[in-house]
Amino acid sequence: MTNTVVKIDNLVKRYGDLIALDHFSLEIYEGEILGLLGPNGSGKTTTINCLLSLLTYDKGDIQIFGREMTPVSYDIKKDIGVIMQNVAVIEELTVYENIDYFCGLYITDKQKRRQCVDEAIRFVGLDDFRKFYPKKLSGGLLRRLNIACGIAHKPKLIILDEPTVAVDPQSRNRILEGIQELNRAGATIIYTSHYMEEVEKICTRIVIMDKGHKIADGTNDELKRMIKNTETISIEALELPDKVLMLINELPHVYDTVYSDGRLTVRCSGGKHNLMRVLDVMEKNGIAFGRVYTELPTLNDVFLELIGTDLRDKEE
Amino acid sequence: MFLHEMKYYILSMLRNKVLVFWLIAFPIGLGTLFHLAFSGLYDKTTKFSTIPVAIVENSADPVFDTIIDSMCSGDDPMLSSQKVAEDKALKMLESGDIKGIIYNCGTYRTLTVYGSGMDQTILKEFLDQYAAEEKMIKNAVMHDPNSAEKVISIFADEASSCREIPVTHGNTDNFIQYFYNLLAMTALYNALVGLRIAENNSPNMSVLGARKGAAPAKGITNILGSFAGSFILSTLCTCIAVSFIHFILGVDFGKRLPLVYLSAIVGGMLGISMGFMVGVLGKGGLRLKNGIVMSVCMMSCFISGLMLGEMKAFIAKFAPWFNSINPASLISDSFYCLNIYGDYRRFITKMASMLIMSAVFTLIGFIMSRRKSYASI
Repeated sequence: MTNTVVKIDNLVKRYGDLIALDHFSLEIYEGEILGLLGPNGSGKTTTINCLLSLLTYDKGDIQIFGREMTPVSYDIKKDIGVIMQNVAVIEELTVYENIDYFCGLYITDKQKRRQCVDEAIRFVGLDDFRKFYPKKLSGGLLRRLNIACGIAHKPKLIILDEPTVAVDPQSRNRILEGIQELNRAGATIIYTSHYMEEVEKICTRIVIMDKGHKIADGTNDELKRMIKNTETISIEALELPDKVLMLINELPHVYDTVYSDGRLTVRCSGGKHNLMRVLDVMEKNGIAFGRVYTELPTLNDVFLELIGTDLRDKEE
Repeated sequence: MFLHEMKYYILSMLRNKVLVFWLIAFPIGLGTLFHLAFSGLYDKTTKFSTIPVAIVENSADPVFDTIIDSMCSGDDPMLSSQKVAEDKALKMLESGDIKGIIYNCGTYRTLTVYGSGMDQTILKEFLDQYAAEEKMIKNAVMHDPNSAEKVISIFADEASSCREIPVTHGNTDNFIQYFYNLLAMTALYNALVGLRIAENNSPNMSVLGARKGAAPAKGITNILGSFAGSFILSTLCTCIAVSFIHFILGVDFGKRLPLVYLSAIVGGMLGISMGFMVGVLGKGGLRLKNGIVMSVCMMSCFISGLMLGEMKAFIAKFAPWFNSINPASLISDSFYCLNIYGDYRRFITKMASMLIMSAVFTLIGFIMSRRKSYASI
């Protein structure tokens, strides 16, 4: 990961009084799957649109493949594949025609294009739907067509803006596997999503954004190490007096306890045997408990701690 | 790239049911309705029914009797007459059984009618013409007794001293204006095609536009390809509409049919460029722009008299300049000029106006769409 594919330096983008990107900088290296994670309005899509020179920006520089990106950087654009957040296909064209049409914007040679289109159709598993019109496809198949239209020309840099929104789990898995396959084939990928488990699963590096700022940048493990939380213990208990809750809160490494709806949540920072200590306090105080489970920190915990709220809460 | 864009634009437009409806089904459907409605009106206004009349004979006149008999015979007789006494004739007239009473006094004839109308006018004209021709024959015989036969044969041939010279190459039916306006409206609906060019090529209007904006294809090439595709599609639809109205419905567009096609094609071009310009101007979304385009088309057609025949005359009286810039008026006027006037001066003026307006709209559209990045999308 030595070659820089994308370099965003001090990017500022304003919509009137609203600052969508506030001195945002980012470098993306060859072969990475970079996850851009953040709630609505965090600046993910704005970053991508600036990257593609679809949006003007107030300040900063963008370089792709070591060259400055401008609206007329056609030599750069030919190596970029874009999969938009909303499905961008032509309703009146069949699956094959749609892919051929978009591929034709990048590749003029008909022979080569035909080969690329066939490969893209096979790649997304739409072989049986070549002559189908988009409105006859299910949501998942439509998303796959959307992806095929963006990757048929074999780009070196692929930008996927929330490609799995409203997709069934089966199609979602297929899409995620496809992205990893593209990456293995040599493409650098920028992947934005609301779904943290997806980002956690496929991204080699994750950037968390909020209000136009980069909040955190690192691998999955690096991000998790940035936060205090190392373990979250959940225990089902019908009753839990405040006195016992205080005792648990005073245990070593425990930094947060919440009892709500018959469930005790204990967050710990470091240390070993935290669960044993909590259960010991409950037993000694005669508290009956049901299911007990413990979780290692997730990206959601990272998000919760860094941004101050749950990603899904913010979406709502 | 240009041909690729053009090919897929034509293909997608041909499969777009809304556009096919407005550009082909609409003129064919409405044209057929116009044809059915107006051919009924023609029948009502031009078909004469036999006029019942009573003859009150004060003295015998075998020549007049012969004429009356000839008018009452045949498949579609003009008169149905009966000789009755004056009292009975008056009662029949009063009850409406007959339209008039002709008193034949030998040397002259008089007409009594009850009320006024087409039938009464025809009866009066008939008697006046008979009196005039009778007098001319008598005068001719007085000067040359041998000429009687010749004069009578001339009248029998209904010779006229006036020769009709047509001042127009076309059809002067009042109802044809509706077909002109219909074609004008169809041509203007090409604005929907023009709007689609803007939509598909503007990142701030659609995700498709954004996807194309991110591609290495030059925007101007894409737009030109779409324009060429639109023009071909528009020409095809226009030719189908004009051909259907002329050849299937039998509406006579005059002797300059190729120029009627040309005029409709240029009208279509005007529609495309207008839609394209509206599409790229301003920040409104697709729905708003679609609404604007449809409103402009409808308003333009309303003012040109499609919905209300007198509207065009009203505008011509109070704001004549408006008809010179109203696209629908320009298109329908070009058909009218072609059909009515002997020379091409007015037609060329209308065509030039349409071409200039198309060029201006297209130029504005191109200038606006040259912008590659947007402040917001």
